[in-house]
Amino acid sequence: MDALLTRAGPMPDKKHTKPRKSLPHQKVNRGKDKPAIDSSLHSILPQTRLAPSLHSHLDDVQPSKELGKIKDKKLRAKLASEQVAQKRARGEREDVQTYLNNPVVTSYSHAFGDESEEEDEAGEPMDTGIEVDEERGERTWRVSQDEIAQSVGIDASGKKFDLKLETVGGGGYSVDYTRNGRHLAIASSHGHVATFDWQAGKLHSEIQLGESVRDIKFLHDQSFFAVAQKKYVFIYDGEGTEVHKLKQHIDVTKMEFLPYHFLLATVPERHVNPWFLKGNSGHLKYHDTSTGLMIAEHKSRLGSVQAMAQNRHNAIIHLGHQNGTVTLWSPNLSTPHVKLLAHVGPVQSISVDPSAGSCGRYMATAGADGRVKVWDNRNWGKTVREWSMRSGGKYEVDWSGRGLLAVGSRGGVSVYRDLHTASSKPPSSYMSMPLPGLAPRSIRFCPYEDILGVGHTAGFSSMLVPGSGISQFDSGEADVYESYGRRREREVRSVMEKIQPDLITMDTDAFLGRVGDGGVANRPVHGPTVREVPFYKKTRAERLEVLGKADTEDAGVLHEEDSADEDASGDEAGVSKPGQGAKRREKVRQEKEKHKMRGKAKSSKRFLRKKRKNVVDPTTVAVKEKLERERAERDKQRKIASGELKVEGGALSRFG
Amino acid sequence: MKVKVISRSLDDHLPSSSTAPHPIQRNLDPSLHPFARAREYTRAVTASKMDRMFAKPFVGALEGHQDGVYSLAKDARRIGIVAGGGGDGEVIIHSMSLRRPILKLPQAHKGMVSGLTFTSHKSDMHRQLLSCGSLDMTIKMWKVSPALTGHLSRTAIDMEEGEELDAFGRNAFADVGGKGRLDGMLDEDQARLDLDVDEEGGFLEAEGGGLNMDEEQRQKAAENIEPMMVYQGKHGFNGIDHHRTDTVFATASNTVQIWDHTRSTALSNLQFGSSLETVAKVKFNQSETSVLASIGNDRTMCLYDIRTGKAERRIVMAMRSNSLSWSPTLPTVMLLASEDHNLYTFDIRKLETPTQVYKGHVAGVMSCDWSPTGEEFVSGSYDRTVRLWNRDEGRSRDVYHTKRMQRVFDTVYTPTSDFVLSASDDGNIRIWKNNASAKLGPMDTRERQQMEYRKKLREKWAGEATVRKIDRQRHVPSAIKKTTDLKRTMLDARKAKEENRRRHTREGESKPKAERKKAMVAEQR
Repeated sequence: MDALLTRAGPMPDKKHTKPRKSLPHQKVNRGKDKPAIDSSLHSILPQTRLAPSLHSHLDDVQPSKELGKIKDKKLRAKLASEQVAQKRARGEREDVQTYLNNPVVTSYSHAFGDESEEEDEAGEPMDTGIEVDEERGERTWRVSQDEIAQSVGIDASGKKFDLKLETVGGGGYSVDYTRNGRHLAIASSHGHVATFDWQAGKLHSEIQLGESVRDIKFLHDQSFFAVAQKKYVFIYDGEGTEVHKLKQHIDVTKMEFLPYHFLLATVPERHVNPWFLKGNSGHLKYHDTSTGLMIAEHKSRLGSVQAMAQNRHNAIIHLGHQNGTVTLWSPNLSTPHVKLLAHVGPVQSISVDPSAGSCGRYMATAGADGRVKVWDNRNWGKTVREWSMRSGGKYEVDWSGRGLLAVGSRGGVSVYRDLHTASSKPPSSYMSMPLPGLAPRSIRFCPYEDILGVGHTAGFSSMLVPGSGISQFDSGEADVYESYGRRREREVRSVMEKIQPDLITMDTDAFLGRVGDGGVANRPVHGPTVREVPFYKKTRAERLEVLGKADTEDAGVLHEEDSADEDASGDEAGVSKPGQGAKRREKVRQEKEKHKMRGKAKSSKRFLRKKRKNVVDPTTVAVKEKLERERAERDKQRKIASGELKVEGGALSRFG
Repeated sequence: MKVKVISRSLDDHLPSSSTAPHPIQRNLDPSLHPFARAREYTRAVTASKMDRMFAKPFVGALEGHQDGVYSLAKDARRIGIVAGGGGDGEVIIHSMSLRRPILKLPQAHKGMVSGLTFTSHKSDMHRQLLSCGSLDMTIKMWKVSPALTGHLSRTAIDMEEGEELDAFGRNAFADVGGKGRLDGMLDEDQARLDLDVDEEGGFLEAEGGGLNMDEEQRQKAAENIEPMMVYQGKHGFNGIDHHRTDTVFATASNTVQIWDHTRSTALSNLQFGSSLETVAKVKFNQSETSVLASIGNDRTMCLYDIRTGKAERRIVMAMRSNSLSWSPTLPTVMLLASEDHNLYTFDIRKLETPTQVYKGHVAGVMSCDWSPTGEEFVSGSYDRTVRLWNRDEGRSRDVYHTKRMQRVFDTVYTPTSDFVLSASDDGNIRIWKNNASAKLGPMDTRERQQMEYRKKLREKWAGEATVRKIDRQRHVPSAIKKTTDLKRTMLDARKAKEENRRRHTREGESKPKAERKKAMVAEQR
């Protein structure tokens, strides 16, 4: 038994283990200034080598020589290590990108084909866009669509096209792309609806609805789309067969689909119901398209809605109202998260920047007052940029995947970039694309392409905006070349991963998976009904405190003070014998007495003030005597405390 | 002027042939993956739901006992078999893979079989079964290996017998004779071919052999089996355990007795002082093999060393223990299954307080057994449930029950730790999975990867209330649910009363007692 006890190792008890001391044989100490040697490690090391294939080229990253100028050693070392870590991280990220994306799949067609070696330097794809020689007077906004089409390859130039649809539709086309940018839906306000794979030039469906159409939206992919028609919203499948009639959505003007939540959000034209229309037509409505359930209806009470946009990074719906207000909504709150007076006059269009630089922080609004404003959602107090448009008509705004803002108005579309930095000057446009005699009704950047789709009175135009799209897509999220099987699989998977609507918040990462404050139990309770926590539910520290065993520093201080008090006043010494807890209570009591009300507002004094001074009545006399007595007592206590007065305890006080 | 626009080549993005996989392109930019946290959380919730969906822990039952099964014995070297001792004195050796008895000893003892254990010979051939009875006051050693031919490992026999097999290892098939059984049979068909009589045991002389026998034949054959050894005691035996390596075993009667295989009388009697308690169970330590522990009806647990031949120390608890088990990996750790519904682990160097209390059962815990890894253990209770525990958690990891399972009297982990066996009053030995949602049978790589990913997700999001709730919630029979609620009410009331009493006594006079210390009465040396 004793042999067992001496030989047995410690029992691993996770709660009470102390860090185990390293065994003496493992390390050889070489004195204070030298690190100890682990002999067993050193015996292995000469025979151990990492395979050359596993050597990282990032091992020998050096900090830049500039740092040598810094004299402070610590600062220099710190900066150097940070720089090395940054370089390594960057290198590793590049490696990941290279390994995962091998072969590099995006190429760029441009005028000078012989410069293709430029693309592959540093293994990163070069930015798309227009490069001009400013000194020679070239300006990007002067470059016309035809010039672009001529200077790019035939593949890219084929993506610029116009659909002239005055004969079949007319009245202005609404436009929507699927999330992978592959499919396009257009709907004329006169009832002509068509969806197609615009890259392959394949028509999926074409229907003449014969009634007015206000908006069109793809649902989770091209196999379903919703159309806001004259009275109700209808859902059609890929071939254009009507599958659902959403009777709850009446007179819808704008729609948005939240793809990760499977929610179709709609807003109606009128915000007040006429008496003959049943249902709450004047509300922002969230409809779950996977289950068919209405999730939420919110009254905005701010006038009819002309503009609607979603923030792709937090699924918040932005509404622009008739009175110039912009409101931000989620299904979980019946009042807007944010209410903002953005324009003088109706808000005509809203868009939220989805680009990496913004992550949904920047919002652009256009109003009937002719102004376009860019807002930062971290500071709603002022605009980041704002400027006036002179062209008139109804304005339309849309952000591209790389943060370009297109503003459409009567007669053309202008594209701006670099709008995230605050400035009072109006930005100069990056590109301008005239559409003479046409008014764009809806403009949308095509995801993962350098294309801007414009739906206007004469049909649809697909325009080339170099540098607007993200070149490298992620097949897991949105695959431009998605096969039938993969689409089917993604559909199932995305329904399985459908995010519950109550997880929609302004800041997506603020709550989920974070440590909270411990719930109701840990919050301070106000009011008289504070129930005492029973002893067995208290924490150890609280228990110790109750038992008077808490070993805190201030308790020690308190103890000393108490003993000082005892020295000063002999009669109190007997009272505060039984333990520190009692002493503490005594201390608290004294402090309370100290802060007892004795100012002007005390009721007895007020009583005396109200009485006439020259009348002697028994109550007044009694009150005066009481006050006098109290003052005398206070004086006495003060003297005792300061040691001026010694109190004789009497013969029996020693037994207390 | 230079203009660059996105232009993609179909060669890079479409599969190179009709059978080639679709090319995948990744962009790790977080802005292209919105709601990453919310989506992962949703996946974690789904994963925990799927885990509960696939939780089908019951594998099967081993039938054949006429009365309740009160003792189980596993053989660490033969993973496919388990022996069960019945209330009517019958001992049955079951094959877990075939789920049927392969050897029945109907009249092994008069009255209940109170303990079973396998001996510890290095060779599979020579490891036999020891059983003890409380009524007939005997211990019997049974030669069981002939019946278990199919469950012997080939290498073990080869080493023992020194017999050489031919290139295919099939020489045994040629003669289904005396040597035939030596060839390790691993499945039923082979076992059928191979079983026959053992000359010494006088088992059976018929073509076909053990597994081909029907019930009648088996009974007839088993009647002829005589024990190799019978050890007579003066008192009834309550438990038996074999030494890890030597030919020594210990029994629990009114004292702890140490026996040798070859001696018909006990080598020594071990007793703590002059105590006159009835010893209920005895267990050898697996690492420090000369140390053994016993539990007695006097609410005690006592440690002995057979080298010194003395009782070393003893603890007295508030309630008696029903079973004990030594950790196979941590030599100082011992588990006690107590009548007070709890289990306790002890570090035997520090016996004044248990290291952990395991709460969950709502009736006395009748049995416990460590998994071979020593990280988890199983317990069976009088409340008709089996619970699985992690060593570091005071709350059970899982609870198993069926409608027809009665009071559980013995539970063991299989040596592979994949399964758990429970022996209950209703005469069945049930096989349960260790991990309720584990998939049995082959898995392809993608399936396995998915399962591992889901497991990791659940671990990562275990702090989230939804995931945790799904993971932890178990539906138990209403009787147990009600009892649990009642028990909680009672305990809370007791606590509140104690608390009130403390509030109204002078400060510092009554102190709350730590939960772990409540179970302890005294430590004696």
